[in-house]
Amino acid sequence: MLIGSPNCGKTLLFNRLTGLAQKVANFPGITVELASGRMSDLPDTVLVDYPGTYSLHPLSGDEQVAVDEFRRGLDDPAVSHVVCVVDVTRLEKSLYLTLQVIRLARMRGKHVVIAANMMDVLAGHGIEIDLAALAAELDAPIVPISARTGNGIADLIQHLRVDPSVAPLESAGGALEIVPDVLMQQAAHRLARRYGPRGDVLVRTQNRLDAFFLHSWTGGLAFFLIMYLLFQSIFTGSAPVMDAVESSLGAIAGWLVPLFGPGMVADFTSDALFSGVGAFLVFVPQIFVLTLVVGLLEDTGYMARAALICHRPLKLFGLTGRSFIPMLSGVACAIPGVYAARSIESPKSRRLTYMAIPLMPCSARLPVYTLLIAAFIPSTTLLGGLVGAQGLAMVSIYFFGLVLGLVVAGLAARRTAQTVADVPFVLEMPPYRMPALKPLVQRAFQRCKHFVTKAGGVILSVTIVVWVLGYFPNGGTDLGSSWLAAIGRVIEPLFAPIGLDWRFGVAILTSFLAREVFVGTLGTIFGIQFAEENMVPLVENIHASGLGLASGVALLVFFSIALMCVSTLVILARESGSWRLPIKMFIAYGLAGYIGAVLAYQFVSLLTGA
Amino acid sequence: MRSVEPQPSEQELPLWQLALGCRAIVTGFSEALSPAYRTRMSEMGFHPGETVSCVLRPALGAPRMYRVSNTVFSLDRDIAGAIRVRPE
Repeated sequence: MLIGSPNCGKTLLFNRLTGLAQKVANFPGITVELASGRMSDLPDTVLVDYPGTYSLHPLSGDEQVAVDEFRRGLDDPAVSHVVCVVDVTRLEKSLYLTLQVIRLARMRGKHVVIAANMMDVLAGHGIEIDLAALAAELDAPIVPISARTGNGIADLIQHLRVDPSVAPLESAGGALEIVPDVLMQQAAHRLARRYGPRGDVLVRTQNRLDAFFLHSWTGGLAFFLIMYLLFQSIFTGSAPVMDAVESSLGAIAGWLVPLFGPGMVADFTSDALFSGVGAFLVFVPQIFVLTLVVGLLEDTGYMARAALICHRPLKLFGLTGRSFIPMLSGVACAIPGVYAARSIESPKSRRLTYMAIPLMPCSARLPVYTLLIAAFIPSTTLLGGLVGAQGLAMVSIYFFGLVLGLVVAGLAARRTAQTVADVPFVLEMPPYRMPALKPLVQRAFQRCKHFVTKAGGVILSVTIVVWVLGYFPNGGTDLGSSWLAAIGRVIEPLFAPIGLDWRFGVAILTSFLAREVFVGTLGTIFGIQFAEENMVPLVENIHASGLGLASGVALLVFFSIALMCVSTLVILARESGSWRLPIKMFIAYGLAGYIGAVLAYQFVSLLTGA
Repeated sequence: MRSVEPQPSEQELPLWQLALGCRAIVTGFSEALSPAYRTRMSEMGFHPGETVSCVLRPALGAPRMYRVSNTVFSLDRDIAGAIRVRPE
């Protein structure tokens, strides 16, 4: 078992000892990850990594689960050793937990080894500390290591080779149990003062960089530049890979589908498997790039600074500084945004962030907005040619989504303020560090794997249902006479208040799979192939269908509010631990979108006299 | 939280009011701060008798940064206002 305080380099040590072969288990309901992996040098030994904690007194629900799991692990007879990782540059924050772990582990008859990490940082500053004396005071072996350079790791492994059947000498336990926590805390402070490194040499560089990154001007500029680069990387960095995935899937489909010959199997493979499931696989590179870049910002230490900068404005809406990156990610795609919300400690703020993310103007809405704006907003210019009406409409709808997300979070915060306990904003500012790329890439791969395996099954099921409804009873020859169209006609009265006929109703129905499907479905209904790539014929058909500006604006409002993305719902359910929140959001945002669309239709109709 | 806070003595002030670059000794916590958070702040190093210093006060009411030993924490007004200190 591996335990330690936050930012003590525990994960890096875990990766070193296991050779990156970690397995991540996600606990339902909360965001606690226990990683486990077989040790490279001791293949019979499995190492379990527990989330970083300041003590064994849990404050939040997440910490409660982490501590409960740790205690359960100590009761497991298969567990022989506890490795407690200590950051030697900041002993004061590690020793209280260390004393608690020593007490608890010995009461359960487990060996404790203390890994004194970050010795390389001390050596770099020419600082020495008396670990032998500290080990004598703690009555536990301390192994000086550097998880970063690998120094001392062999010694640590040597300590773990001890025969697990041999009980530790201090396993009597009884007397240790009665040491009050207050005395233990005082002992930790005394030891930290006596053995910890002195002077401010360790934080001098950090303070200098903070003075730049958190300065009103330079900090603000750096913040916007870094966020711009993050945003660019999500869109442009992943675009070539997304295109490659798309064309590869197209090529495979082009080779595979003809092998089946004409018929239902070929239609299913082409339309349900490759078009439906393929559309969600295209987002994998985006998730990979985002996880990588966000991980890079976390590991360099900048993320904590970004959270600090954004905390004050976001707090007005019940959110926290840590909500910023998930919401920003949501502008590209809600799924990586929901994943990024894991870093939010406060359950209340995390829930509010989940609620705000799907309202961010994600990239899947872009093709829908592009089509509707091209179809309904005239390509005229305003303010003497300075501003294009279509561009202004696009900016407005993006701004509408961003503001709406914050407002919804703010309103929900007022409702939940009395019922949900919150975690105050206390953030340890990690030192600036050069990140290690290998674990970052590993983490990004894991996140992609999680996305594909967890969301894939549900998305495939929904795709099949939509495909079957659209294919039968006429074998896919005419969508207009399919079961899907029949459903469209049944629900047509629902869309009448926004001036839409059954064809748009069907397109809205299918877009519950993913918003961009709206464009493809309309293309199919109007008999236009590759509607996503070339929207001009589709725009002409929409004009010919007699749809007016009021309906166009109503659709824009509907798509900017309604939560029409199966993948997001699935991931929200996985991350929040139940289907309650996503179902509530689906209904509430759907209703709000519909009511907003009806109001927009009536308002624009009144203005234009239509 | 702040409305029920008793007035600190003349020498004491809330950590939030500590001037940039100044050092102070932690003297205690506001009654309004729950015992769980008091424990957590103590665990992090903000325990009575410990020296803290204000290393950064970003503009516009953003959380401020305080150093305890070799660790720097960012605390917002709610929590920094509930820690009492006596300037050195």
